[in-house]
Parts: sequence; C-alpha cells; structure tokens
Amino acid sequence: MSVYFPQKYLPYLLLLPQLLVTAVFFLWPAGQAVEQAFYQEDAFGLSREFVGLDNFIELFTSPEYFASLLTTMVFSFSVAFLGLAVALWLAVMADRVIRGAMVYQTLLIWPYAVAPALAGVLWWILFDPSMGPVALALDAIGLDWNHFVNGDQAMILVVISATWKQISYNFLFFLAGLQAIPRSLLEAAAIDGAGPSKRFWGIVFPLLSPTTFFLLVVNLVYAFFDTFGVIDATTQGGPGQSTTTMVYKVFNDGFVGLDLGSSAAQSVVLMVIVALMTVIQFRYIERKVQY
Amino acid sequence: MSDLVLQNIGKTYSNGYQAIPSIDLTIEEGEFIVLVGPSGCGKSTLLRMVAGLEGISQGELLIKGDQVNNKEPADRDIAMVFQNYALYPHMTVYDNMAYGLKNRGVAKAEIATKVSAVAQMLGLEELLTRRPKQLSGGQRQRVAMGRAMVRDPKVFLFDEPLSNLDAKLRVQMRVEIRELQRKLGTTTLYVTHDQVEAMTLADRLVVLNKGHAEQIGTPMELYLRPASTFVAEFIGSPSMNLIPSRVEQGKLQLSVDIQLDCPHVSAQSVMFGIRPEHVDISPLDQADVPFIVKAVEALGAETLVHGVLQLGDGNTPAFIVRVAGHHHFEGGETLGLTLPSQAWHLFDAQTTKRIEA
Repeated sequence: MSVYFPQKYLPYLLLLPQLLVTAVFFLWPAGQAVEQAFYQEDAFGLSREFVGLDNFIELFTSPEYFASLLTTMVFSFSVAFLGLAVALWLAVMADRVIRGAMVYQTLLIWPYAVAPALAGVLWWILFDPSMGPVALALDAIGLDWNHFVNGDQAMILVVISATWKQISYNFLFFLAGLQAIPRSLLEAAAIDGAGPSKRFWGIVFPLLSPTTFFLLVVNLVYAFFDTFGVIDATTQGGPGQSTTTMVYKVFNDGFVGLDLGSSAAQSVVLMVIVALMTVIQFRYIERKVQY
Repeated sequence: MSDLVLQNIGKTYSNGYQAIPSIDLTIEEGEFIVLVGPSGCGKSTLLRMVAGLEGISQGELLIKGDQVNNKEPADRDIAMVFQNYALYPHMTVYDNMAYGLKNRGVAKAEIATKVSAVAQMLGLEELLTRRPKQLSGGQRQRVAMGRAMVRDPKVFLFDEPLSNLDAKLRVQMRVEIRELQRKLGTTTLYVTHDQVEAMTLADRLVVLNKGHAEQIGTPMELYLRPASTFVAEFIGSPSMNLIPSRVEQGKLQLSVDIQLDCPHVSAQSVMFGIRPEHVDISPLDQADVPFIVKAVEALGAETLVHGVLQLGDGNTPAFIVRVAGHHHFEGGETLGLTLPSQAWHLFDAQTTKRIEA
C-alpha cells in the first residue's frame, strides 16, 4: 500500500523518531565498532594505535575463534532444530484439544514473556549440581551431572535454556499454521486412505513448510545473536570455552579481557553475518514458499 | 441388492443436541439421490456420517450389504467431493488424483492408466502437471471429481460441489455431473440447498427439515404432491402460495364467495396452497378472488406478479402469480384470479401434513 503525502516534509517528520533511535542506538555504536576494529587500544582507553587489518588477521588465525564459531554452529542448529521440533509437536497436540484449548495455548505461550536472563537463572537453579532438582534426579539414576566441569553438559544446559524460551514463539506460529489448513483437506486424505502419520507427513508438514522455513531463519538469528543473556546467566561461556558462542566471545574479550580492538573486529564479523541472514530472510521469506 | 441402506440412522452430539433423530433410506444401485434442505437441516451431517467423517449415534449404515458403522472412511469404498474441493495444494493435478491409489498400494503403471483414462474423460489431460492454484474454479471442480472417479468407488458423495462456482458454470457442471453419473452408473448421494440443482439432478429427492426426512420421492412427486407445507414451500420457485383457511361443515372457507366441497377433511383449520404458475388471470366478474398488484418482476420468459389477495373477511394474504411471457401490470391495479380446483393443495394447519383428496 502506498500513501501520497502532499507535503514533502511530513513523511520524514513521521519517520524521525524511529530514524533517531536507529541512528543513536545502532548506526553510531556500529560505526564506532567498525572504527575501533582497526585500532589497538590499551585497557584503560587512554591511547590507541592504528593497526589496519591486524585485528582481523589475528582473529582468523586464532584457533579459539574457530572453536567459538563451531560452538556457535552446534549451539544454534541444536536450538533451532530442538525448538522447531518440540514446538511443532506441542502445536499438533494443542490443535487436537477441543476442551479447554485456550488454557493450553495460553500456558504454552507464557515462557515467551520470561526475560532471557531469568530463563537462564531458572534452568541454572534446576540443573545446579549441588542442589538443582533435575541434577539430583539425574544423579539418582546414575548420571553424574556437573555442567561446571563437563563441557558437553554445559552445552546441553544452554541449549535447553535457550530453546525453552523460543518454543513458545515457534508454537504460536505453528498453531496458527495448523489452524489455517482446511479440515476438509485432512478429511479428503482420510478418505484417500492416508493414516494419521501419512496425513501429517504427506499433507500437514508440506503445507507448514513456509512457516517452518520462516521459523528456521528466525530461530537461527535468535540463537546466533539473542542468547547472550541465557548463556551469561547459566554458564558464562564455560567451562573453558565450551559454551562461548561468537556473541558471548565479543562480550568476554571486550569487557572481561579488555581487548577492545579484537572485540570490535568480532562485532564487525557478526554484523556481516546478520546482514547475510537478513538478505536470506528478505529473499526467500518475503517471497514465501509458493504453491 | 440395495446399494446403500440407512436404517434408523441418528446423530446426537455429545452436548445432547440431536441433529438427526432418525432417518430410513434405501438407495438402489446407480441411483442419484439428492439430500436437500435449508442450512442447518442436517443434510451435510448425514452425508458426513455416510462418509465416516462423523460418528453414527444410532441405527445401521449398510454399503452393499456390509455394515460399515465403525469402519474408517478409507475402508468404506466411498469417494467424496467437497464444497471447497479440498485439493492438495502442494501436489500436481496428477498427484492429487493418484494420491488415493498410491495410499492403497496400487502399482505405478496401473495408477498412470487409471488417471489418464479419467483425465481424458474430464478433459484434464493438459492440466495434469499443474498445481490447484493455477486452475480456474471449474477446472478445480473437475479435478475434485476426477479424484473421486479414479478410485471407482461404490458410492459417490457430493457436498454442495457447485456452490463455489458462478451461475453459468454451475448450470454447465450440473449437466456434466448428471451425464457422468449416468455413464458410470455409480450410486450417488448429493447434498445441496439449491432446489433447482436438486430437481434437475435427482432420481429421488430427500427433503430434510430439522434432521428428519419430510418427504422422499421423485422430483415430480414432490412437485405435484408435496407431503407437507415445508416441502410445498421448498420445492418450486417462486414457492407455493399458502393461505390459512378454515373448513366448516365439510366446506373450505377461503373467506371468499366460493365454497367447495371437501367432505374428506376432518381438520378445522387448514392451509390452502396453490402454485403461482397454476393461477389464471381472468376478468374480475368471472374471477374467484380479487388480487391487488404490489410489484412486478418481468423476466422476459415469464412475469412474476407480487401482491395481496382481497378476501371477504378483510384478510389480505401475500400472493404471487406467475404468468408466462411478458405482461404489463401497474402497481395498485386490481386483477381477477381464478384458482383451478385441480391445482389445489390442502394441508392440516396443525400437523402441516398434506390432506389427501
């Protein structure tokens, strides 16, 4: 839809607040980060020296950085896959419920309203090796749970915490998608001799694929960039580097390690990744998967 | 052997609502049966019960002698055409038609033969690789029928299949469906709310009202001898004129000067019915009853005159007259009507049932 404004300045005036917010909170700091990526600064910010691409060269030759890239990949795809699978399963179940459907749906949406850090703390308490009920239960069945020591367990913990929050969001979209599928299609398939699982994989799942693809990208973006709070509240990137994702490493190197130049260079790399994902999103999702 | 038998079939929902109290219907092989009635009369529910998409609360449903009450839709050997066609949007026309056969484990070569035979019959050969989105309404309708036909089922079920089409296409598809059904000889149960569709398609009609069958019969039986005021009003367009009347001492009191002998009538209050096309316009001094014109609908081939009768007791019931050809009448004009007695219908006002002569 396009609207015609007789005055030239009015549309700009209406856009101004959003443009200001974007400029002050995004463009300016982003510009600073890009600038900083080419300097080496001392820990107190008193002096700095232009080093060109040294920060990037150091980054791409550091095995630690590639380790964090791998961690990010494992983490993101686990979160996205788990989040989509569980949410789809819940949505299919909730779609079948007739009595009290609204109650189930509302309860399933709640976790989305919990702040990331709180979600992290919640799971951190549940899995705390010395007092967490889940950790104690696992101990009782002979599984020694200690995510402070065991890197794989730490990864599982952050994946669970991050996924839990995202399931509600995915659930909403899947439920809406399921409800948009006409009942008569499933009835026709039933008459055509397709059993429940054939109906799901042959009719429902393909018809949900636009929703699924959209959610896949959204979930990957979430896992890549939006899970700092969850990780900081549960494992702080540890033990060792086992849960240090790229975003967490930016924070850790910059504000803990005080290597501002490298941190800025990592931010620039992340910005490029975000830009790529946005392009993918616009290219394929705005056009949608068409039938 | 009868093809499809409904014995004392009823539907009561879990909340206690009785959608269909009890229906008995025996359908012979190759018959085209139309379930017709206003919305909410239970016609779709009944069809879906036959399809197995709705549970059957009471009674027995027999297809070719087998009791299928608790069989899955897929195991009843029926095929259904839905109102919105319910084509699988992510499959091509070919795959849509082949889906039911694939699920039943039919060999690929046999599927291809069957689909192409049906596609040829319906003129769909050019469209087999298209998706439903790329088809017009009429083409989708045809694919939906093809999907039903390709399985060669014992019974076809149609759920208002033409209501999403424009008027011209609807008439064309109506004729086509009738021809196809004759050619295939498949027993058919067809639901519609459109009485013209019902009259033109059916071997026999079932008029449903609030879940019970008001009358079952051929279109002409229903037109000539409607069993109740409901059928009288539902079949025929414009619908039959019905005027509340009394019978005193074996004579019908139409509150006009004519009094006719009807000694067989025991009821006191009756509904007097006559179809708009069976009324004649005559000079006022020879007429049975004067009629005041309110509005005229000229359709070219016929003229519908809406107005009121002027009865002796001061009642002015609404009345419609249908005259062949084009005529001119003024609003407010008084016409004389003769009501030939062989075209009369009498109904008991209490039970609404027909009083037989």
